[in-house]
Amino acid sequence: MEWTRPGLSSPLRPICDLRVLDHFIKEARDAEVAMKSCREGCSLSESVSVPQTTVDFDVWEEKNGLDQAHEVQSGLCLLQQALGLLKTSVTNTALHSHLDNCIRNLLSINAVLRSLNIQEYTPPASAAELEGTWRVSSATDLLQVHVNFLRGKVRLLLMDAQACQQDVS
Amino acid sequence: MICDHLSRLLALHVIFCAMGKASIDQGARNHGKKVSILLREEPENPKCFAQSRKDFTCFWEEDEELSGSLDQYSFTYTYQNENSSRCPLKMLPAAGGKRLFFCHLNQTQMFVQTDIEVHREGRLIHNRSLLIELVFILDPPANVTVSRTAQPLQLNLSWVPPALKYMDDSMIYEVIYTTVGSNVGQVEVVAASSELILRGLQPGQMYKMRVRVKLDGISYNGYWSAWSDPVFMETVPAELDLLIMSLTLIISFILVVLSLTMLLSHRRFVVKKVWPTIPTPDSKFKGLFSVYGGDFQEWLGQTNRGIRLTPAFFYSEECPSPLEVLSELSPRPSLPFPPLPPKAFRALPSVRKEDDDVKTEPEDRELMDRGDPVLSEQRTATPHNLWLIDRIRALNQSQVPCSQSYLLESQDTYVTLSGKNQNIDELDDVLEETLPLEVLFASRKTASYESHSDLGSVPQSSNSSRLSSQSSFEYPNHAWMTKGPGYTYMAVADSGISMDYSTMSRVEDFGKAVIYSNDYKNEIPAFRSPFLPSHHHIDDDG
Repeated sequence: MEWTRPGLSSPLRPICDLRVLDHFIKEARDAEVAMKSCREGCSLSESVSVPQTTVDFDVWEEKNGLDQAHEVQSGLCLLQQALGLLKTSVTNTALHSHLDNCIRNLLSINAVLRSLNIQEYTPPASAAELEGTWRVSSATDLLQVHVNFLRGKVRLLLMDAQACQQDVS
Repeated sequence: MICDHLSRLLALHVIFCAMGKASIDQGARNHGKKVSILLREEPENPKCFAQSRKDFTCFWEEDEELSGSLDQYSFTYTYQNENSSRCPLKMLPAAGGKRLFFCHLNQTQMFVQTDIEVHREGRLIHNRSLLIELVFILDPPANVTVSRTAQPLQLNLSWVPPALKYMDDSMIYEVIYTTVGSNVGQVEVVAASSELILRGLQPGQMYKMRVRVKLDGISYNGYWSAWSDPVFMETVPAELDLLIMSLTLIISFILVVLSLTMLLSHRRFVVKKVWPTIPTPDSKFKGLFSVYGGDFQEWLGQTNRGIRLTPAFFYSEECPSPLEVLSELSPRPSLPFPPLPPKAFRALPSVRKEDDDVKTEPEDRELMDRGDPVLSEQRTATPHNLWLIDRIRALNQSQVPCSQSYLLESQDTYVTLSGKNQNIDELDDVLEETLPLEVLFASRKTASYESHSDLGSVPQSSNSSRLSSQSSFEYPNHAWMTKGPGYTYMAVADSGISMDYSTMSRVEDFGKAVIYSNDYKNEIPAFRSPFLPSHHHIDDDG
């Protein structure tokens, strides 16, 4: 049993290839399209909080990396909760698979952020409710926010990750 | 010293102004190109495009006559979950009597739904909802350069992408290259790269290349930019590889030798196939070409005797068609139709009496030139002729005697008809070959006959009766000989018209036509029925 000693955890190799995120974005877009064509059994039972997707580049660039990471991580957390609630509301089986993909991809993005040495961040419930959030009541609006958030803030954060900048240089 | 500094500052100022003007001009040109592209590509109004992360332009087009003043219009935009904002408008004239109304924003928000509305005097005229990051149109790639690579048929094309932060990896490029003078170009698409190696080019050709850019559509999207300025480069001419040339020559030489060997070994076969021997009938007609030089008539004249002497032609159960040469005589003035010459009548009994002498030949062409062909024939009678005479006697005994005979005009055409009841198919075939001057009629009850002044073989039928005829057309200057009791004579006009006979009409014709009697009288009987050779046509339909 001596040779089963716990060793030092090796750092994760940074995932800087944005094609991974592009794949998640495409699947999120597929879910949005499927939801738009759904007529029955695809409604949100209650309004949910979602992150704001608006990106003003001047404002974004003024934020430091940590704030940007926290904003992204908070948004990912809200989206996970909202998609989970939507999954319980939807009875359409085809949409269930799309929503499963989206929730799984959100978890993968957290893993990518960890690979980029971005510490995990769990926002306080009250703070997420007040700042930088929207309330949506329809499933289509929720999935549209989901797509726009991935295409915008999440991608910008991954592109500017220091770990990837060190690899390029 | 101070003057030098001032002059330098002035020169720099002029340079910067020129550069600025150039860049401004370039920017204006690019802007104009983008407007043109949007007018062509975007069907909705207003037409909006983003040029960078902050630059956003919307415009629409109206006819100058229908548009109002600028203050009549209002442009408002609303981001999701935010209040609406108003955009100041500008108006620019356009070609073709148009006006363009522009809204330009220097600050935008992306990745959020944006609603745009245009009002004219409080009335909504245009409405649109979009995401700004999805309507990018970029400037074309700059500094496009081309160079040769280590490979002879390749070119390396490189360019500088538009300077847009966060969007370099989202750009795709389209390269079009073509040989100078050709309208067909090849297109290559490359993603997230600022260079491309063109492969498979033709040697020694001048190529023209252009590049344009667009966002890939995942995070950002938009329209294809305008094409960059073209660049030209000539590929290296093909080099002659000595080894390849020598191998090609050796292989070609070997192939030629093999081909010649094959041809020589099978030359006969090849010659036979390429120049096939043309069959000639010389073997079937002995002496036709070697002796008579292809003159069939002369050959036939010489070979008639041989054929005549062949018993198979005539020694058959069926009776042959007797042929007698009749002389043509001049008419007596007292008679409408002059009788036949006395010689003809004297010849008839002689023909009848002399069994062993006269033997008329159906193909007796050689008697044309003789004055008394029957008598001459009597002198040269052969056993075959004797047999014919016997047949004639038999026929004369069974046939209706001819009513009368006539002397006809020398220019008239005489047709002699002999009726017989026999099947003469074989004989007809044989006789047709050997009797070019005799027209053989096969009489049928329902058949039709044809008589031609220019005699030829006539289709025969194997039925009961048979008629043989002869035309005096071949004897223009000679006597027309009566044939005897077995013949009915009919004079017809030599108008060159073919006449059809039928059995029924034949009877009528017999009534109408001139019938030569075979009474063997010295006197030529008067003509019984009116007959005008020049006007009489027997035209019967079968």
